Amino acid sequence: MSDEPRVLPFPSEEDDDAVLGAHIAAMYRGYPARSQADADRCAREVIARAKAQPAWRALVPRQRWWWGAAAAAVLVVVTMRPWRPDASDEAGRVFTSAAREATTPPGAAAGSPGGAMARSPQGTITSLDGGDTVRFDLRLATEPKDVSLVGDFNGWDESATPMLRRNGDETWSAQISLSPGRHVYAFVVDGQQWLVDPLAPQVPDAGFGPANAVVIEGQR
Amino acid sequence: MRVLRLAALIALANLASVPAAQAQPAAMNAMLQQATPQRVPFDEARFDSLTARQLGEIFDAAAAAGLPTDKLINRARQGAALRVNSARIITAVRMHAAALLEAREVLGTASTAAELDVGADALKAGIPASTLAQVRAARTGGSVEMPLVVLIDLVSSRQVPVSNAREAVLTLSRVPRSDEALSSLQQVVAKNSVRGPGMALDALNRYVKGTVSGSIQPSTPVTPDRKPIRPPPP
Repeated sequence: MSDEPRVLPFPSEEDDDAVLGAHIAAMYRGYPARSQADADRCAREVIARAKAQPAWRALVPRQRWWWGAAAAAVLVVVTMRPWRPDASDEAGRVFTSAAREATTPPGAAAGSPGGAMARSPQGTITSLDGGDTVRFDLRLATEPKDVSLVGDFNGWDESATPMLRRNGDETWSAQISLSPGRHVYAFVVDGQQWLVDPLAPQVPDAGFGPANAVVIEGQR
Repeated sequence: MRVLRLAALIALANLASVPAAQAQPAAMNAMLQQATPQRVPFDEARFDSLTARQLGEIFDAAAAAGLPTDKLINRARQGAALRVNSARIITAVRMHAAALLEAREVLGTASTAAELDVGADALKAGIPASTLAQVRAARTGGSVEMPLVVLIDLVSSRQVPVSNAREAVLTLSRVPRSDEALSSLQQVVAKNSVRGPGMALDALNRYVKGTVSGSIQPSTPVTPDRKPIRPPPP
Protein backbone atom coordinates (compact mmCIF):
# COMPACT_ATOMS: atom_id res chain seq x y z
CA MET A 1 0.00 0.00 0.00
CA SER A 2 1.70 3.22 -1.18
CA ASP A 3 1.01 6.81 -0.23
CA GLU A 4 0.91 7.89 -3.87
CA PRO A 5 -2.45 9.35 -4.76
CA ARG A 6 -4.46 7.11 -6.98
CA VAL A 7 -5.67 8.15 -10.37
CA LEU A 8 -9.38 7.87 -10.08
CA PRO A 9 -11.67 7.34 -13.10
CA PHE A 10 -13.54 10.58 -12.74
CA PRO A 11 -14.87 12.39 -15.84
CA SER A 12 -12.49 14.61 -17.72
CA GLU A 13 -12.81 18.36 -17.97
CA GLU A 14 -14.61 18.07 -21.27
CA ASP A 15 -17.40 15.93 -19.89
CA ASP A 16 -20.65 17.29 -18.61
CA ASP A 17 -19.97 16.06 -15.10
CA ALA A 18 -16.50 17.57 -15.01
CA VAL A 19 -17.21 19.88 -12.15
CA LEU A 20 -18.76 17.18 -10.03
CA GLY A 21 -15.96 14.76 -10.87
CA ALA A 22 -13.26 17.28 -10.02
CA HIS A 23 -14.91 18.03 -6.73
CA ILE A 24 -15.19 14.39 -5.72
CA ALA A 25 -11.69 13.65 -6.94
CA ALA A 26 -10.28 16.44 -4.85
CA MET A 27 -12.04 15.05 -1.79
CA TYR A 28 -10.81 11.53 -2.33
CA ARG A 29 -7.20 12.47 -3.02
CA GLY A 30 -6.63 13.02 0.65
CA TYR A 31 -7.62 9.50 1.58
CA PRO A 32 -5.35 6.53 1.06
CA ALA A 33 -6.88 3.77 -0.99
CA ARG A 34 -6.14 0.12 -0.54
CA SER A 35 -5.94 -0.72 -4.17
CA GLN A 36 -6.63 0.70 -7.56
CA ALA A 37 -9.60 -1.66 -8.00
CA ASP A 38 -11.18 -0.51 -4.77
CA ALA A 39 -10.61 3.11 -5.69
CA ASP A 40 -12.23 2.57 -9.10
CA ARG A 41 -15.21 0.81 -7.59
CA CYS A 42 -15.65 3.47 -4.95
CA ALA A 43 -15.48 6.27 -7.47
CA ARG A 44 -17.99 4.60 -9.77
CA GLU A 45 -20.36 4.12 -6.85
CA VAL A 46 -20.09 7.72 -5.81
CA ILE A 47 -20.66 8.98 -9.36
CA ALA A 48 -23.68 6.70 -9.81
CA ARG A 49 -25.27 7.86 -6.58
CA ALA A 50 -24.56 11.49 -7.30
CA LYS A 51 -26.18 11.19 -10.69
CA ALA A 52 -29.27 9.45 -9.35
CA GLN A 53 -32.00 12.03 -8.74
CA PRO A 54 -35.77 12.04 -8.44
CA ALA A 55 -37.67 12.19 -11.68
CA TRP A 56 -39.24 15.52 -10.83
CA ARG A 57 -35.85 17.15 -10.61
CA ALA A 58 -35.35 16.49 -14.31
CA LEU A 59 -38.46 18.54 -15.10
CA VAL A 60 -37.54 21.56 -13.07
CA PRO A 61 -35.02 23.94 -14.60
CA ARG A 62 -32.09 24.69 -12.38
CA GLN A 63 -31.24 28.09 -13.73
CA ARG A 64 -32.35 30.87 -11.48
CA TRP A 65 -33.18 33.23 -14.34
CA TRP A 66 -35.86 30.82 -15.49
CA TRP A 67 -37.82 31.36 -12.31
CA GLY A 68 -37.64 35.09 -12.83
CA ALA A 69 -38.91 34.78 -16.38
CA ALA A 70 -41.76 32.54 -15.28
CA ALA A 71 -42.81 34.99 -12.59
CA ALA A 72 -42.77 37.85 -15.09
CA ALA A 73 -44.89 35.85 -17.54
CA VAL A 74 -47.45 35.08 -14.84
CA LEU A 75 -47.57 38.74 -13.91
CA VAL A 76 -48.19 39.76 -17.52
CA VAL A 77 -50.89 37.15 -18.00
CA VAL A 78 -52.70 38.03 -14.79
CA THR A 79 -52.61 41.79 -15.21
CA MET A 80 -52.88 42.33 -18.97
CA ARG A 81 -54.82 39.24 -20.01
CA PRO A 82 -53.58 39.38 -23.60
CA TRP A 83 -55.99 36.68 -24.75
CA ARG A 84 -58.86 39.12 -24.44
CA PRO A 85 -59.32 40.72 -27.85
CA ASP A 86 -59.42 44.44 -28.28
CA ALA A 87 -62.95 45.81 -28.48
CA SER A 88 -62.53 47.38 -31.89
CA ASP A 89 -60.97 44.24 -33.37
CA GLU A 90 -63.76 42.13 -31.97
CA ALA A 91 -66.36 44.38 -33.46
CA GLY A 92 -64.72 44.07 -36.81
CA ARG A 93 -64.57 40.33 -36.54
CA VAL A 94 -68.20 39.93 -35.67
CA PHE A 95 -69.06 42.28 -38.41
CA THR A 96 -66.86 40.53 -40.94
CA SER A 97 -68.22 37.11 -40.25
CA ALA A 98 -71.78 38.35 -40.31
CA ALA A 99 -71.22 40.09 -43.59
CA ARG A 100 -69.52 37.13 -45.20
CA GLU A 101 -71.91 34.50 -44.03
CA ALA A 102 -75.17 36.28 -44.25
CA THR A 103 -75.04 39.24 -46.54
CA THR A 104 -72.72 38.29 -49.34
CA PRO A 105 -74.97 37.68 -52.31
CA PRO A 106 -74.66 34.38 -54.12
CA GLY A 107 -72.05 34.64 -56.79
CA ALA A 108 -70.00 37.24 -55.00
CA ALA A 109 -66.39 36.19 -54.95
CA ALA A 110 -65.24 34.78 -51.63
CA GLY A 111 -62.14 36.57 -50.49
CA SER A 112 -62.93 39.51 -52.68
CA PRO A 113 -61.47 42.89 -51.75
CA GLY A 114 -64.60 43.58 -49.79
CA GLY A 115 -63.70 40.91 -47.26
CA ALA A 116 -60.70 42.78 -45.96
CA MET A 117 -62.36 46.15 -45.84
CA ALA A 118 -64.93 44.96 -43.38
CA ARG A 119 -62.43 45.30 -40.54
CA SER A 120 -63.32 47.84 -37.87
CA PRO A 121 -65.99 49.76 -39.74
CA GLN A 122 -67.53 52.68 -37.93
CA GLY A 123 -70.82 54.19 -38.89
CA THR A 124 -72.41 57.33 -37.58
CA ILE A 125 -75.68 59.04 -38.31
CA THR A 126 -76.07 62.77 -37.85
CA SER A 127 -79.24 64.77 -38.07
CA LEU A 128 -78.56 68.03 -39.91
CA ASP A 129 -80.23 71.35 -39.28
CA GLY A 130 -82.53 69.73 -36.77
CA GLY A 131 -84.71 68.60 -39.65
CA ASP A 132 -85.28 65.45 -41.63
CA THR A 133 -81.97 65.59 -43.49
CA VAL A 134 -79.69 62.90 -42.18
CA ARG A 135 -76.04 62.27 -42.95
CA PHE A 136 -74.73 58.70 -42.93
CA ASP A 137 -71.00 58.27 -42.41
CA LEU A 138 -69.11 55.04 -42.79
CA ARG A 139 -65.45 54.72 -41.97
CA LEU A 140 -63.60 51.82 -43.55
CA ALA A 141 -60.09 50.58 -42.96
CA THR A 142 -59.21 50.13 -46.62
CA GLU A 143 -59.96 51.89 -49.87
CA PRO A 144 -62.93 50.56 -51.80
CA LYS A 145 -63.80 51.94 -55.21
CA ASP A 146 -67.34 52.87 -54.36
CA VAL A 147 -69.73 52.63 -51.44
CA SER A 148 -73.46 53.13 -51.56
CA LEU A 149 -76.28 53.33 -49.07
CA VAL A 150 -79.30 51.10 -49.47
CA GLY A 151 -82.45 50.88 -47.42
CA ASP A 152 -86.17 51.01 -47.39
CA PHE A 153 -86.00 54.70 -48.26
CA ASN A 154 -84.54 54.05 -51.73
CA GLY A 155 -86.04 50.67 -52.50
CA TRP A 156 -82.74 48.93 -51.70
CA ASP A 157 -81.37 50.28 -54.96
CA GLU A 158 -77.57 50.19 -54.98
CA SER A 159 -77.31 53.00 -57.49
CA ALA A 160 -79.80 55.33 -55.84
CA THR A 161 -77.67 56.76 -53.02
CA PRO A 162 -73.93 56.64 -53.70
CA MET A 163 -71.69 57.71 -50.85
CA LEU A 164 -68.92 60.22 -51.41
CA ARG A 165 -65.49 59.95 -49.91
CA ARG A 166 -64.30 62.89 -47.90
CA ASN A 167 -61.03 64.45 -48.96
CA GLY A 168 -58.06 62.93 -47.18
CA ASP A 169 -60.22 60.73 -45.02
CA GLU A 170 -61.38 57.15 -44.91
CA THR A 171 -64.95 58.21 -44.30
CA TRP A 172 -67.71 57.85 -46.86
CA SER A 173 -70.76 60.06 -46.48
CA ALA A 174 -74.24 60.42 -47.91
CA GLN A 175 -76.99 62.89 -47.08
CA ILE A 176 -80.60 62.03 -47.60
CA SER A 177 -83.96 63.27 -46.44
CA LEU A 178 -85.85 60.77 -44.33
CA SER A 179 -89.37 60.81 -43.04
CA PRO A 180 -89.85 60.36 -39.28
CA GLY A 181 -89.97 56.78 -38.12
CA ARG A 182 -87.85 53.69 -38.33
CA HIS A 183 -85.73 53.04 -41.41
CA VAL A 184 -83.76 49.91 -42.19
CA TYR A 185 -80.52 50.29 -44.10
CA ALA A 186 -77.18 48.74 -45.00
CA PHE A 187 -74.03 49.66 -46.89
CA VAL A 188 -72.86 48.13 -50.17
CA VAL A 189 -69.15 48.13 -50.86
CA ASP A 190 -67.92 47.82 -54.45
CA GLY A 191 -71.33 46.61 -55.49
CA GLN A 192 -70.72 43.20 -53.97
CA GLN A 193 -70.49 43.15 -50.23
CA TRP A 194 -73.27 44.29 -47.98
CA LEU A 195 -72.10 45.62 -44.65
CA VAL A 196 -73.78 46.66 -41.45
CA ASP A 197 -72.48 48.83 -38.66
CA PRO A 198 -71.92 46.40 -35.78
CA LEU A 199 -72.62 48.99 -33.09
CA ALA A 200 -75.78 50.48 -34.58
CA PRO A 201 -79.19 49.01 -33.77
CA GLN A 202 -79.72 45.88 -35.78
CA VAL A 203 -82.88 44.29 -37.03
CA PRO A 204 -83.37 40.52 -36.94
CA ASP A 205 -82.33 38.59 -39.99
CA ALA A 206 -85.25 38.55 -42.39
CA GLY A 207 -83.79 35.56 -44.20
CA PHE A 208 -81.50 37.72 -46.28
CA GLY A 209 -78.91 38.88 -43.74
CA PRO A 210 -78.53 41.51 -41.05
CA ALA A 211 -79.35 45.18 -41.46
CA ASN A 212 -79.23 48.31 -39.35
CA ALA A 213 -82.12 50.40 -38.14
CA VAL A 214 -82.40 54.09 -37.38
CA VAL A 215 -85.32 55.94 -35.84
CA ILE A 216 -85.86 59.46 -37.07
CA GLU A 217 -87.70 61.56 -34.54
CA GLY A 218 -90.33 64.05 -35.52
CA GLN A 219 -94.02 64.47 -36.13
CA ARG A 220 -95.50 61.42 -37.76
CA MET B 1 -118.14 43.51 -50.50
CA ARG B 2 -119.73 42.61 -47.17
CA VAL B 3 -118.94 38.98 -47.80
CA LEU B 4 -115.30 39.77 -48.46
CA ARG B 5 -115.01 41.82 -45.28
CA LEU B 6 -116.58 39.03 -43.26
CA ALA B 7 -114.20 36.50 -44.78
CA ALA B 8 -111.18 38.66 -43.98
CA LEU B 9 -112.35 39.05 -40.37
CA ILE B 10 -112.77 35.29 -40.02
CA ALA B 11 -109.27 34.76 -41.41
CA LEU B 12 -107.84 37.30 -38.98
CA ALA B 13 -109.64 35.72 -36.07
CA ASN B 14 -108.04 32.40 -36.95
CA LEU B 15 -104.61 33.97 -37.22
CA ALA B 16 -104.75 35.83 -33.96
CA SER B 17 -104.83 32.70 -31.83
CA VAL B 18 -101.49 31.25 -32.94
CA PRO B 19 -97.93 32.59 -32.87
CA ALA B 20 -96.60 34.03 -36.10
CA ALA B 21 -93.68 31.66 -36.45
CA GLN B 22 -95.92 28.57 -36.28
CA ALA B 23 -98.96 29.86 -38.02
CA GLN B 24 -97.56 31.45 -41.11
CA PRO B 25 -98.34 28.72 -43.68
CA ALA B 26 -101.89 28.20 -42.48
CA ALA B 27 -102.39 31.89 -41.90
CA MET B 28 -101.15 32.90 -45.28
CA ASN B 29 -103.12 30.15 -47.02
CA ALA B 30 -106.26 31.40 -45.35
CA MET B 31 -105.40 34.90 -46.38
CA LEU B 32 -104.70 33.86 -49.95
CA GLN B 33 -108.04 32.10 -50.18
CA GLN B 34 -109.75 35.31 -49.21
CA ALA B 35 -107.72 37.44 -51.59
CA THR B 36 -109.65 40.16 -53.30
CA PRO B 37 -109.32 41.10 -56.92
CA GLN B 38 -107.74 44.38 -55.82
CA ARG B 39 -104.20 44.58 -57.21
CA VAL B 40 -101.39 46.10 -55.19
CA PRO B 41 -98.91 47.81 -57.50
CA PHE B 42 -95.26 46.95 -57.03
CA ASP B 43 -92.17 46.83 -59.20
CA GLU B 44 -92.71 43.40 -60.71
CA ALA B 45 -89.79 43.84 -63.10
CA ARG B 46 -87.35 43.18 -60.27
CA PHE B 47 -88.61 39.60 -59.97
CA ASP B 48 -89.15 36.73 -62.36
CA SER B 49 -92.72 36.26 -63.54
CA LEU B 50 -93.54 33.33 -61.27
CA THR B 51 -92.17 35.06 -58.18
CA ALA B 52 -93.92 38.28 -59.10
CA ARG B 53 -97.23 36.48 -59.41
CA GLN B 54 -96.85 34.79 -56.02
CA LEU B 55 -95.77 38.02 -54.40
CA GLY B 56 -98.70 39.80 -55.97
CA GLU B 57 -101.07 37.32 -54.41
CA ILE B 58 -99.52 37.80 -51.00
CA PHE B 59 -99.65 41.60 -51.30
CA ASP B 60 -103.27 41.50 -52.45
CA ALA B 61 -104.23 39.30 -49.52
CA ALA B 62 -102.37 41.54 -47.11
CA ALA B 63 -104.13 44.60 -48.49
CA ALA B 64 -107.47 42.88 -48.07
CA ALA B 65 -106.59 42.16 -44.46
CA GLY B 66 -105.66 45.78 -43.89
CA LEU B 67 -101.93 45.19 -43.47
CA PRO B 68 -99.36 47.76 -44.61
CA THR B 69 -98.29 46.35 -47.96
CA ASP B 70 -95.43 48.80 -48.43
CA LYS B 71 -93.56 47.00 -45.64
CA LEU B 72 -94.02 43.68 -47.42
CA ILE B 73 -93.01 45.12 -50.78
CA ASN B 74 -89.97 46.59 -49.14
CA ARG B 75 -89.03 43.21 -47.74
CA ALA B 76 -89.30 41.67 -51.20
CA ARG B 77 -87.17 44.46 -52.66
CA GLN B 78 -84.50 43.81 -50.06
CA GLY B 79 -84.34 40.18 -51.10
CA ALA B 80 -84.16 41.09 -54.77
CA ALA B 81 -81.36 43.55 -54.13
CA LEU B 82 -79.43 40.87 -52.27
CA ARG B 83 -80.05 38.48 -55.18
CA VAL B 84 -81.39 35.71 -52.97
CA ASN B 85 -83.49 33.03 -54.59
CA SER B 86 -87.21 33.37 -55.09
CA ALA B 87 -88.18 30.78 -52.51
CA ARG B 88 -86.42 32.68 -49.75
CA ILE B 89 -88.00 35.95 -50.80
CA ILE B 90 -91.49 34.49 -50.76
CA THR B 91 -90.89 32.75 -47.45
CA ALA B 92 -89.58 35.94 -45.87
CA VAL B 93 -92.52 37.98 -47.15
CA ARG B 94 -95.04 35.39 -45.94
CA MET B 95 -93.43 35.27 -42.50
CA HIS B 96 -93.45 39.02 -42.26
CA ALA B 97 -97.10 39.19 -43.26
CA ALA B 98 -98.02 36.70 -40.58
CA ALA B 99 -95.94 38.59 -38.03
CA LEU B 100 -97.62 41.85 -39.03
CA LEU B 101 -100.99 40.28 -38.36
CA GLU B 102 -99.96 39.15 -34.91
CA ALA B 103 -98.31 42.49 -34.18
CA ARG B 104 -101.53 44.27 -34.99
CA GLU B 105 -103.41 42.02 -32.62
CA VAL B 106 -100.93 42.78 -29.86
CA LEU B 107 -100.25 46.48 -30.43
CA GLY B 108 -103.77 47.40 -31.42
CA THR B 109 -105.45 48.45 -34.60
CA ALA B 110 -104.63 52.09 -33.96
CA SER B 111 -100.94 51.38 -34.41
CA THR B 112 -99.16 52.95 -37.34
CA ALA B 113 -97.67 50.93 -40.16
CA ALA B 114 -94.18 51.63 -38.86
CA GLU B 115 -95.13 50.40 -35.41
CA LEU B 116 -96.59 47.23 -36.85
CA ASP B 117 -93.44 46.71 -38.89
CA VAL B 118 -91.13 46.98 -35.91
CA GLY B 119 -93.56 44.93 -33.83
CA ALA B 120 -93.43 42.17 -36.42
CA ASP B 121 -89.65 42.25 -36.31
CA ALA B 122 -89.78 42.02 -32.53
CA LEU B 123 -91.99 38.93 -32.67
CA LYS B 124 -89.64 37.32 -35.17
CA ALA B 125 -86.72 38.11 -32.87
CA GLY B 126 -88.33 35.93 -30.22
CA ILE B 127 -89.74 38.67 -28.03
CA PRO B 128 -93.00 37.48 -26.46
CA ALA B 129 -96.25 39.13 -27.45
CA SER B 130 -96.90 39.94 -23.79
CA THR B 131 -93.74 42.05 -23.75
CA LEU B 132 -94.94 44.00 -26.76
CA ALA B 133 -98.21 44.65 -24.99
CA GLN B 134 -96.32 45.91 -21.94
CA VAL B 135 -94.28 48.27 -24.08
CA ARG B 136 -97.45 49.51 -25.72
CA ALA B 137 -98.98 50.16 -22.32
CA ALA B 138 -95.87 51.97 -21.11
CA ARG B 139 -95.88 54.26 -24.14
CA THR B 140 -99.49 55.30 -24.14
CA GLY B 141 -99.83 58.17 -26.52
CA GLY B 142 -96.33 57.73 -27.88
CA SER B 143 -94.71 55.62 -30.51
CA VAL B 144 -93.32 52.20 -29.64
CA GLU B 145 -90.76 52.29 -32.43
CA MET B 146 -87.72 53.35 -30.43
CA PRO B 147 -88.39 51.01 -27.45
CA LEU B 148 -88.92 48.08 -29.78
CA VAL B 149 -85.89 48.91 -31.94
CA VAL B 150 -83.74 48.92 -28.81
CA LEU B 151 -85.42 45.82 -27.41
CA ILE B 152 -84.81 43.90 -30.65
CA ASP B 153 -81.19 44.95 -30.74
CA LEU B 154 -80.57 43.99 -27.11
CA VAL B 155 -82.15 40.58 -27.42
CA SER B 156 -81.12 39.49 -30.89
CA SER B 157 -77.70 41.09 -31.27
CA ARG B 158 -76.30 41.73 -27.81
CA GLN B 159 -77.29 38.48 -26.07
CA VAL B 160 -79.19 40.23 -23.31
CA PRO B 161 -81.87 37.96 -21.78
CA VAL B 162 -85.39 38.97 -22.75
CA SER B 163 -86.47 39.56 -19.15
CA ASN B 164 -83.58 41.93 -18.42
CA ALA B 165 -84.02 43.77 -21.71
CA ARG B 166 -87.74 44.10 -21.12
CA GLU B 167 -87.34 45.54 -17.65
CA ALA B 168 -84.69 48.00 -18.84
CA VAL B 169 -86.74 49.20 -21.79
CA LEU B 170 -89.91 49.51 -19.76
CA THR B 171 -88.08 51.46 -17.07
CA LEU B 172 -86.48 53.86 -19.52
CA SER B 173 -89.74 54.25 -21.45
CA ARG B 174 -91.18 56.03 -18.45
CA VAL B 175 -88.37 58.52 -17.81
CA PRO B 176 -88.28 61.99 -19.38
CA ARG B 177 -86.57 62.14 -22.79
CA SER B 178 -87.03 58.41 -23.00
CA ASP B 179 -86.09 58.12 -26.68
CA GLU B 180 -82.69 59.66 -26.00
CA ALA B 181 -82.21 57.46 -22.96
CA LEU B 182 -83.11 54.36 -24.95
CA SER B 183 -80.79 55.31 -27.77
CA SER B 184 -77.93 55.87 -25.33
CA LEU B 185 -78.70 52.55 -23.66
CA GLN B 186 -78.37 50.78 -27.01
CA GLN B 187 -75.02 52.43 -27.67
CA VAL B 188 -73.65 51.60 -24.23
CA VAL B 189 -74.72 47.98 -24.42
CA ALA B 190 -73.48 47.57 -28.00
CA LYS B 191 -70.05 48.91 -27.10
CA ASN B 192 -69.78 46.72 -24.05
CA SER B 193 -71.17 43.56 -25.61
CA VAL B 194 -68.04 43.06 -27.70
CA ARG B 195 -65.86 42.97 -24.62
CA GLY B 196 -66.91 39.61 -23.36
CA PRO B 197 -69.83 37.60 -22.05
CA GLY B 198 -71.78 39.33 -19.33
CA MET B 199 -70.45 42.77 -20.13
CA ALA B 200 -73.58 43.75 -22.05
CA LEU B 201 -75.85 42.83 -19.17
CA ASP B 202 -73.57 44.55 -16.68
CA ALA B 203 -73.58 47.74 -18.74
CA LEU B 204 -77.33 47.57 -19.14
CA ASN B 205 -77.97 47.25 -15.41
CA ARG B 206 -75.57 50.05 -14.54
CA TYR B 207 -76.96 52.37 -17.17
CA VAL B 208 -80.55 51.84 -16.10
CA LYS B 209 -79.66 52.32 -12.43
CA GLY B 210 -77.74 55.47 -13.22
CA THR B 211 -80.48 56.91 -15.40
CA VAL B 212 -83.22 56.25 -12.89
CA SER B 213 -81.19 57.69 -10.04
CA GLY B 214 -80.35 60.72 -12.15
CA SER B 215 -76.60 60.29 -12.13
CA ILE B 216 -76.52 59.53 -15.84
CA GLN B 217 -78.18 61.92 -18.24
CA PRO B 218 -79.43 60.71 -21.62
CA SER B 219 -76.83 62.87 -23.30
CA THR B 220 -73.96 61.25 -21.42
CA PRO B 221 -71.54 60.09 -24.10
CA VAL B 222 -70.61 56.47 -24.44
CA THR B 223 -67.47 55.62 -22.51
CA PRO B 224 -64.50 55.51 -24.87
CA ASP B 225 -62.45 53.24 -22.61
CA ARG B 226 -62.83 49.59 -21.77
CA LYS B 227 -64.78 50.09 -18.59
CA PRO B 228 -68.57 49.96 -18.42
CA ILE B 229 -70.36 53.00 -17.15
CA ARG B 230 -70.40 53.03 -13.37
CA PRO B 231 -72.73 55.36 -11.53
CA PRO B 232 -71.05 57.41 -8.80
CA PRO B 233 -71.56 56.21 -5.23
CA PRO B 234 -74.63 57.66 -3.54
